Amino acid sequence: MAAASRGGGGGPKALELLRALPRVSLVNLRPNPGAKKSERRRGRGRHGGKKSGRGHKGQRQRGNRPRLGFEGGQTPFYLIIPKYGYNEGHSHRRQYHPLSLQKLQYLIDLGRVDPTQPIDLTQLTNARGVTIQPLKRDYGVQLVEKGADNFSAKVNIEVQMASELAIAAIEKNGGVITTGFYDPRSLEILCKPIPFFLRGQPIPKRMLPPEDLVRYYTDAKNRGYLANPSNIPEARLELAKKYGYVLPDISKDELFQMLSTRKDPRQIFFGLAPGWVVNMSEKKILKPTDERLLRYYSS
Amino acid sequence: MAAEPTRGSVPQPRTPGSRPILLLQSHKLFFRRTRLGQRLSCACVLGWPFLCSSGQRNALGHRLIDYQEKPPLVISSAPVLRGCHLAIPSHRTAVQAWVESLRHYDDRHVGLADLHPDVFAVMPRVDILHTVAVWQRNYKRISYAKVKTRAEVRGGGKKPWAQKGSGRARHGSIRSPLWRGGGIIHGPRGPTSYYYMLPMKVRVLGLKVALTAKLMQDNLHVVDGLDMPTFDPQYLADLAQYRRWGQSVLIVDVNKMPENITKAAASLKTITLVPALGLNVYSLLKYETLVLTLDTLAFLEEKLLWHDSRYTALYPFHLPYSDFP
Repeated sequence: MAAASRGGGGGPKALELLRALPRVSLVNLRPNPGAKKSERRRGRGRHGGKKSGRGHKGQRQRGNRPRLGFEGGQTPFYLIIPKYGYNEGHSHRRQYHPLSLQKLQYLIDLGRVDPTQPIDLTQLTNARGVTIQPLKRDYGVQLVEKGADNFSAKVNIEVQMASELAIAAIEKNGGVITTGFYDPRSLEILCKPIPFFLRGQPIPKRMLPPEDLVRYYTDAKNRGYLANPSNIPEARLELAKKYGYVLPDISKDELFQMLSTRKDPRQIFFGLAPGWVVNMSEKKILKPTDERLLRYYSS
Repeated sequence: MAAEPTRGSVPQPRTPGSRPILLLQSHKLFFRRTRLGQRLSCACVLGWPFLCSSGQRNALGHRLIDYQEKPPLVISSAPVLRGCHLAIPSHRTAVQAWVESLRHYDDRHVGLADLHPDVFAVMPRVDILHTVAVWQRNYKRISYAKVKTRAEVRGGGKKPWAQKGSGRARHGSIRSPLWRGGGIIHGPRGPTSYYYMLPMKVRVLGLKVALTAKLMQDNLHVVDGLDMPTFDPQYLADLAQYRRWGQSVLIVDVNKMPENITKAAASLKTITLVPALGLNVYSLLKYETLVLTLDTLAFLEEKLLWHDSRYTALYPFHLPYSDFP
């Protein structure tokens, strides 16, 4: 009774067929032919039976074979090869989910990401463009060059790492790119804001990067968020010269205010400062008034 | 594909788009599969190219009866026309159903309702109905069967007799599986749960296929409301029989049901009232006829179509989302 039609059948014909068939009820149901393949059980005759796949006599049939990797006494492969730390400390290494410019263009074209607002990791996660798992040592998103030739969107984007060509591709179209660091707790809050707000905790301040990343984020060439803002126009010109394009003047742009919005180094969300509590059910924001708290959250 | 061999079978009412169904009236309870019988049964299934005028008999002596109802009666002056509120894809058209009423026993053509094709005219995947019905039966099942192994059976710590000398077979314990009263080796062990979850979209598709099957097989009736003139259960039963709804009827509503129908259905065994949230594939297949109100139609269409174009879940759906409902 399964309406599996062979090519050209389609919905309407199947529905017409259904009208002429007996009433579909609990007694008429069956899976599609071939869907339920019964398993082969050992010791139950013909192909599961007789020796039951154990072979003829010896250790094999009697279940007395030595451990995996044993080579009869010869020093086995897994001992003869010397150790090397390929995977040493793998669970302490930072991982950055790649986001290609092609994917970014795709998301903007489909309307899943709004280029007229600053693009953040929250926007990318809401658009399901990337899936970040902070618990698996993901520290954010890195912008990758694939699709740089066809990229033509003017955006204000904030990622965690970006290659030089990706920065050039964004700036060529009149956009602004910044790299910022998020510690794992801030990253989790950034990716899934609603479950965090439902916890009722105050928004924490974003931690500063560890020693080995400070150099990266204080460099204007990487458009780091801790870099000196006055070095950035120079870096933009340099990149334009290197890759040979005309750097558009964003101050004359109508979206200049949106393009120049940047987050404070201690800020996680645009428009929300650390220390605030968001009440989802009553739609209110509570701000601290105690002097010590204010001093702590503004440091 | 045997035709229904029933005695005095009930003819199907003719709803728009239905074809007259040929029935084979036989005095025997079981249809014998002769070659001629098989060819005739195929003819019956294919239906109306093989219509014959009444009074004719086939070679087996069975009388072929052609049932056709008269065309629909006068529709009331202000018909209830329900259009589909959600967008229908341009390559498909809405399917239609008559809107009936419970106020009068013969109020069968109060209006016309447009039903969304992506809920009421999906591909009839009967294998998905099977999957979902089996899941509904099994996921709540906990089997409490447990038997004792040789370690748990009382006794059997001492060697019954010496290894050698007695002439009997050697044994170490009186509760070994070889013994009468001994432990069971591979028996059921403890409460076993058969819980598993089908993907949400499979369960949703199951509902869509079930609703499609009900509509296509003329078992779906749309009602403008559940207002009844009386709380007499006999009225409801007579109405269901007059309108040839079937042996069992499932009536679904989103809103709180009026008193009359709840009182009437309380004493009836074959007619059941169910809130819209309780609609499930197993019940849809168990009951022969489904009666939906217009509000339920809107509710079901909205809920079932949402899954077609939603993002994957970032966190559980019962937590608030700003992007989509």
